[in-house]
Amino acid sequence: MVVRSYNDELGYLEKINDHCWKIKKGFQPNMNVEGCFYVNSRLERLMLEELKNSCRPGAVGGFLPGVKQIANVAALPGIVGRSIGLPDIHSGYGFAIGNMAAFDMDNPLSIVSPGGVGFDINCGVRLLRTNLFEKDVQPVKEQLAQSLFDHIPVGVGSKGIIPMNARDLEEALEMGMDWSLREGYVWAEDKEHCEEYGRMLNADPAKVSMRAKKRGLPQLGTLGAGNHYAEIQVVDEIYDKWSASKMGIEEKGQVVVMIHSGSRGFGHQVATDALVQMEKAMKRDKIETNDRQLACARINSVEGQDYLKAMAAAANFAWVNRSSMTFLTRQAFAKMFNTTPDDLDMHVIYDVSHNIAKVENHIVDGKERKLLVHRKGSTRAFPPHHPLIPVDYQLTGQPVLVGGTMGTCSYVLTGTEQGMQETFGSTCHGAGRALSRAKSRRNLDYKEVLDKLEQIGIAIRVASPKLVMEEAPESYKDVTDVVDTCHAAGISKKCIKMRPIAVIKG
Amino acid sequence: MLKKKLEALGYPTPSDLALSNRKDFASTILWLEDQKIRLYAIEDREILRNVDNAQMWEDGYLKYCADLNMPSLGTQNEQLAWILGHAIRLEFLDDPAQYESINSKQTLPKINGSQPHQQKVQVIFEGKMNVDDKEFIAGVRTLAGQLNVPHHPNHLLQLEAVARVVHERLSPAARGRQPITGTPFPFDKGNDVVSANDPALDLPMRILRLLQIQSLRQLQTHINETIVSVQNLTANPKTDTKLGKVGF
Repeated sequence: MVVRSYNDELGYLEKINDHCWKIKKGFQPNMNVEGCFYVNSRLERLMLEELKNSCRPGAVGGFLPGVKQIANVAALPGIVGRSIGLPDIHSGYGFAIGNMAAFDMDNPLSIVSPGGVGFDINCGVRLLRTNLFEKDVQPVKEQLAQSLFDHIPVGVGSKGIIPMNARDLEEALEMGMDWSLREGYVWAEDKEHCEEYGRMLNADPAKVSMRAKKRGLPQLGTLGAGNHYAEIQVVDEIYDKWSASKMGIEEKGQVVVMIHSGSRGFGHQVATDALVQMEKAMKRDKIETNDRQLACARINSVEGQDYLKAMAAAANFAWVNRSSMTFLTRQAFAKMFNTTPDDLDMHVIYDVSHNIAKVENHIVDGKERKLLVHRKGSTRAFPPHHPLIPVDYQLTGQPVLVGGTMGTCSYVLTGTEQGMQETFGSTCHGAGRALSRAKSRRNLDYKEVLDKLEQIGIAIRVASPKLVMEEAPESYKDVTDVVDTCHAAGISKKCIKMRPIAVIKG
Repeated sequence: MLKKKLEALGYPTPSDLALSNRKDFASTILWLEDQKIRLYAIEDREILRNVDNAQMWEDGYLKYCADLNMPSLGTQNEQLAWILGHAIRLEFLDDPAQYESINSKQTLPKINGSQPHQQKVQVIFEGKMNVDDKEFIAGVRTLAGQLNVPHHPNHLLQLEAVARVVHERLSPAARGRQPITGTPFPFDKGNDVVSANDPALDLPMRILRLLQIQSLRQLQTHINETIVSVQNLTANPKTDTKLGKVGF
């Protein structure tokens, strides 16, 4: 690791325009391509401060600063284009969260890295619309929150209420949302409005360890803890009337439900297992990286392929998980309003994955190439007329669901042509941490956090209140800053803003 | 589109064409006959030369249209489009070899694409009717005229368009169908950019894309219907609250 003063470090960074910085080669050793990151002035300050702190003598431990992590990723074998940091970037295991990188599938040296996907494989956001308005929901807000809380199992160690045996799990891992469809938990239209149609075809449950399956079986259909939540939200602002209408959002005040969840302990175990395998593979194939956390294996090696197949199974797990919660949410609403989910028009607007690696075709230097795109804390944002987005969104571009922090607002964006060219069709995924979990626990009091939410009129149900301060708005960057930066940089376009009226948390 | 065609023919001022002005229209027709079509001998073109005498020119123009075998077209725009198309066809036939290089590379796929269309119609009538019969062509033209289907030089393609209109609008199934409700989406309001500074390219591209989206939508709807009918056999969703701890 190079030791330089903060000012020397700045020499490697160059501001290209108001919203984008370039990280030049040499910032970290062996960079194959340049890096870049998208920020506005406020996020820029946070970013540089983090770098400055790490340059202080005696600064050891913890993760590397985000900028350094972007540069280390740029040094991985087979990377093409740039290593890209989105505005919500913050340090993570190996790859920063909010970092995307693409690797050339035709280069035999190219690698796949579990750190580039994250531990919560296929963590993502799903948005359901309703034909209810704020005035219908406000009077029964507390009951509805309680009803959701009663339907959706939440919290550390919570167990699902959809009966599942080991065989069901095997099938679900292979079939993804098709399993939920077959069993009747979701609607045919849900599949249509889901990234990858809710199923990774290369999933192979045989590549998943027994341990992962044991952890996963009881957790299917549960929300989990951490930053995961189910929120009842109200449309607060519509920026793009026509795109919103394509999503079934006609007016301010319309009620939607956002579900943010992933593959729970299952995905975590798949990632942990893979890291062990990859360390061996790295020694054997003599792959060198700048950071031990960037464990990886060649895409075509046994370890690489095994990981991709197991990761796909975990992705399917996450889709079944979100589908089961969709089912439970529909039940909760139907009971509350004494009608059917159909009559409440509770369609899935879209379902995005923001921790995943996928094979995609992109134009690089004027030529179409097959790439393995890692998106960690980054959402796919394909432009209008892209063949992989649902037919209903061909004119608007892919909806991008950006979940905010507990108690703040969330956004729906749409993908743009510029994003396709600049960031391999990727954009931000959420607010992005500003304080570490430990720091938030030290600095904030959970009672205050809960009181504050109550004051602004948000009904809240939490399974483990003592962990709530980790998720307090103060611990995060401002999601509006993040989204505005993406909009201004042109890598995605603002469409709808929502604010929460009830939150269910793990 | 008219502008593009005029440009292709080398018309001196393609962008200043004012269609509202009948006199300009008249001079354009005259220019086309003089320079490109040359249907009449030079001395016979006098009837079109009276650009300043409206009445005389209109009579001459009517005769000219009849002599060109132009189908009866409603608007001046359509007439001009037809005459331009005719002129371009003649220009091309003068020296097809000159366009061979463009032909083989860029329009060949199109030619291939239109063949199955022709065959489709031809196969239906095979052995029953001669599709190139004059009476048949006239019948297609009349039918198209009554249904307001735009003119196309290939009557078989036009017949297909007629069939589509009948299928979509006039068939018993279409008549019984519920009208589509909801707010229509203005198709120029999407986030997609085609070619903002060239309306001649932008509009047809958008229309083609919309047609593509429509057929994709139909496919997706069929898929969904199939899934639902399978679900009727397989689906049995159940929950068991005894299994887990719900809402601590």
